[in-house]
Amino acid sequence: MIEPIYIHGKGGISIQPTTEPDYFFDRILPYTQNPIPACDPDYKALIPPLQLRRMNKSMRMAIFTSQLALQEANRTTVDAVITGSGLGCLRDSERFVEALLADERQALNPTPFIQSTHNMAAAAIALALKCKGYNMTYINNANSFESALLDGMVYLSEHPDDTILLGAVDELGERTTEFWNIAEYLKHDAPAIPTPLPLRAAAAPGEIAAEGATFFVASRQPGASAIGKVTAVETCLEADNPTTFVSRFLQKNGLDAPAIDAVLLGYNGDSRYDDSYRTVAQALFAETPCVGFKHVLGEFDTVIAAALALALQILNKQRIPATVQLSGPQPQELTRLLIYTQRRGKNHGVMLVER
Amino acid sequence: MNAPARIAIIGMGAISAIGEDVSSNHQSLRTSSPGIGPIRHLDTPHRGRLLVGEVDIANDELAERLEIPANEAYTRSTLLALLAAREATAGIDLGDGNRTGLISATTVGGMDATERYYDDYLVSETHRHFIPTHPCGYSTEQMARYLGVTDFVTTISTACSSAANAIMLGARMIRAGLLDRAIVGGTDCLSRFTVNGFNSLMIYTDGYCRPFDEHRSGLNLGEAAAYLVLERSEPAARQSKTPMAYLSGYGHANDAFHQTASSEDGEGAYLAMKQALEVAGLEASAIDYINAHGTATPNNDLAEGQALLRIFGNVQSIPPFSSTKAFTGHTLAAAGAIEAVFSVLALQHQEIFANLNFSHPIAALGIVPQTTLLSTAINHVLSNSFGFGGNCSSLLFSSAHD
Repeated sequence: MIEPIYIHGKGGISIQPTTEPDYFFDRILPYTQNPIPACDPDYKALIPPLQLRRMNKSMRMAIFTSQLALQEANRTTVDAVITGSGLGCLRDSERFVEALLADERQALNPTPFIQSTHNMAAAAIALALKCKGYNMTYINNANSFESALLDGMVYLSEHPDDTILLGAVDELGERTTEFWNIAEYLKHDAPAIPTPLPLRAAAAPGEIAAEGATFFVASRQPGASAIGKVTAVETCLEADNPTTFVSRFLQKNGLDAPAIDAVLLGYNGDSRYDDSYRTVAQALFAETPCVGFKHVLGEFDTVIAAALALALQILNKQRIPATVQLSGPQPQELTRLLIYTQRRGKNHGVMLVER
Repeated sequence: MNAPARIAIIGMGAISAIGEDVSSNHQSLRTSSPGIGPIRHLDTPHRGRLLVGEVDIANDELAERLEIPANEAYTRSTLLALLAAREATAGIDLGDGNRTGLISATTVGGMDATERYYDDYLVSETHRHFIPTHPCGYSTEQMARYLGVTDFVTTISTACSSAANAIMLGARMIRAGLLDRAIVGGTDCLSRFTVNGFNSLMIYTDGYCRPFDEHRSGLNLGEAAAYLVLERSEPAARQSKTPMAYLSGYGHANDAFHQTASSEDGEGAYLAMKQALEVAGLEASAIDYINAHGTATPNNDLAEGQALLRIFGNVQSIPPFSSTKAFTGHTLAAAGAIEAVFSVLALQHQEIFANLNFSHPIAALGIVPQTTLLSTAINHVLSNSFGFGGNCSSLLFSSAHD
């Protein structure tokens, strides 16, 4: 039986200063570019320099944020590490392709090949923590973190006394971004963070590509330190009707829309796909405060992990920062939040987060 | 620990260098006919030098067999996957109301297209419809649409243990009550990326790989796809599909030792096998055959051999074991699935397949694999898959005859 899991610590790197203690989106770093690299923290503060030098961006972001999560949870190790990433270690993949295209007959440097392997971030955490337990990596486009989270819930139902690290990481790749641009995924016209999000009719096509990592410490025990809990998660590759997808999810969990105190929606300002959020908001959450996150964090496959971190903060602070509230009143009490997101019209994901 | 209900295997499909379906793979295994040879399809300067386990069918023909329109972008891993998954699900009504999941494993994803069109995409429109195929998840999504799976879709990428982990997740989700049925397995085509990668690590042999041999000098890469259909035991009976075998145990651990190398005592491998036995509620002595990971790299076979000695106690107590990598090559994310199919074949036909190209036991271990086809009573098979990042998995398959 799948039961709620409690979150005891979190850490996040994004295009906002989310690594700063007590940062709560009251101050938003503005950008007018596309793509946008994540704000690099002082990695040396948590990673020995010798190891740091050998780590690619995904590995260092994952190690750093997992350390932040462990610190908040007041732990030094875990029993399992479960991660998601839409695209894995892109830069090393690009580096190795470029090296072999330049001259395949040469003896190539194996390091980018090794570190292009999709599970390198989870492996780096296992190595750093000497964690010999379960270690899994989901590479499933914009539903990668949801898969990791679901696996985490199954794992903790099998091992109710264990504590695990759950997380997600995605990095930008230079050439890959060019490809996405050619494929018309990206926004050209006046890209901006915060992205203007007209709630009734979005303006221009395209998304703003970003990157980041978010990790959580989770267990089945609330203990004294829990900062919230995840009670359910579900994904759907293609939803004919997003409203039906979300309302069925609520139904399965014995809830109706008014039971949700605020809803986090994945509006990213892409005129082609934001309709799904508008539809769901109008049909189910017309009276509910709506919260955005991609207009300040950008778009990447595992940004929903950062949305979960934001949801936990909202529950703990009992307020929604004005910079992320899109509509509705400032609620009296916040006990149950719902996150709904999709990317480019597919990979719908929905999650219930409670105090 | 009580052994939980076993998971029934009610369908399987496979394509590899030794056959285009399960029965032709079996025929090659029975006759000890390997599929390793010179590169014929992959466009690389290593052609004529390195040996591979290639599926001798071009992409166009694969697409034609699948009735996929020529102008649609499917990369080779996905084409191989669809052939294997179509075979695995033949005769199973996926629309019968049971919650069905697709859990696929790949490490190459669409890299074969990306490396081919890396510069071309920038200057020409001709192949740009392949751009979206790069992510590993894209391949699984194409499979889901082709097969008509909508309830749950995900992709695992944990290097060479990927497919074993996909099989394990399917079983765990069924046991957790989240799915009634899972199509699980993995796919990886050959690519310049992986051939050069393993070559750059100096673990790609110049000749034919020799698993568990003292003079082994590295692996041959291969390409393959294999999928199994898992159900809980009761619906398997209800659909009146006789189980081919059961998945009765699984284990997973991280070696936490090195990015690519295994620890000398094979700690991760040992823990994975130990857990698989625990989940199945079996003693090591119940195992009749081990389909080893056995990549024929100096490091893997030594570590795996050490782990086998630790699990079984001593050389004499290790049951017959073999690596089938000398037939198929190392098929990376597909390895755990193709070898799961071989394990089920071993149970169905009561046969142990040969470890080819072996002549001298590893001096430090003294263990000798089964080098010829052996007909014998087999009730339980362990199948190992280990990967970069210390990712170690072991699956335990049991006979449907008992």
